Amino acid sequence: MIRSHFLNMAIFSALVAVFFAFLTQNETRDRLRVILILGGSMIVLSLILAYVMYPFPLR
Amino acid sequence: MSDAVPAAPAPKPGSAARSLVSCLLAWFLPGLGHVYLGRKGRGAVFCVVVLATFGLGIASDGAASLVDRGQALTYLATFDNVATGPIELLSRQRTYGRIVYLLPREENHPERVELTGRLRDRVRSVTYEYGNAFLLTAGLMNILLILDTFDIAVGRKD
Repeated sequence: MIRSHFLNMAIFSALVAVFFAFLTQNETRDRLRVILILGGSMIVLSLILAYVMYPFPLR
Repeated sequence: MSDAVPAAPAPKPGSAARSLVSCLLAWFLPGLGHVYLGRKGRGAVFCVVVLATFGLGIASDGAASLVDRGQALTYLATFDNVATGPIELLSRQRTYGRIVYLLPREENHPERVELTGRLRDRVRSVTYEYGNAFLLTAGLMNILLILDTFDIAVGRKD
């Protein structure tokens, strides 16, 4: 059981990126590009969103 | 210069049985439909990715959804779970101790009380939300794979 939120997010992003790379592309080079762009953007955008939300308390 | 959109390739005649078999295989085991259609490498990758996602969902205490007739979204979540294939029975067995899909309608029904109690135990787990996200994503991935095998079988995609 992985408790790290970041690690869960990274694994989730990697799995989804690999899935869509193989679903939508036929060439290895294109697949790598999709994995990097999709996986990377999922992680980076989530971190940016997390920092934007940080100053706002829940209550 | 013409702005005409090229027409989609016509479905291959006689491919109905092939597409049905490939879709059933894709549901039965993620990636098996692709292997059946000759895309062995791609099928193997899909199998590993979807099963890894599903396995992480179970390991993270994700719960299989039950249809609660008062809540429309539970139909979608349960359908999504079922779309993962027969392997989905594992998560159901692990969550509820048996194979069950429907929550009894009456609030005080003993089975409803027992099932919601089991679900409540799951919700207390720290990683429950991660697990649920992984389980639902595995189902969504397999739905896309079933549609993809259909497209390949009828000749719409290489």
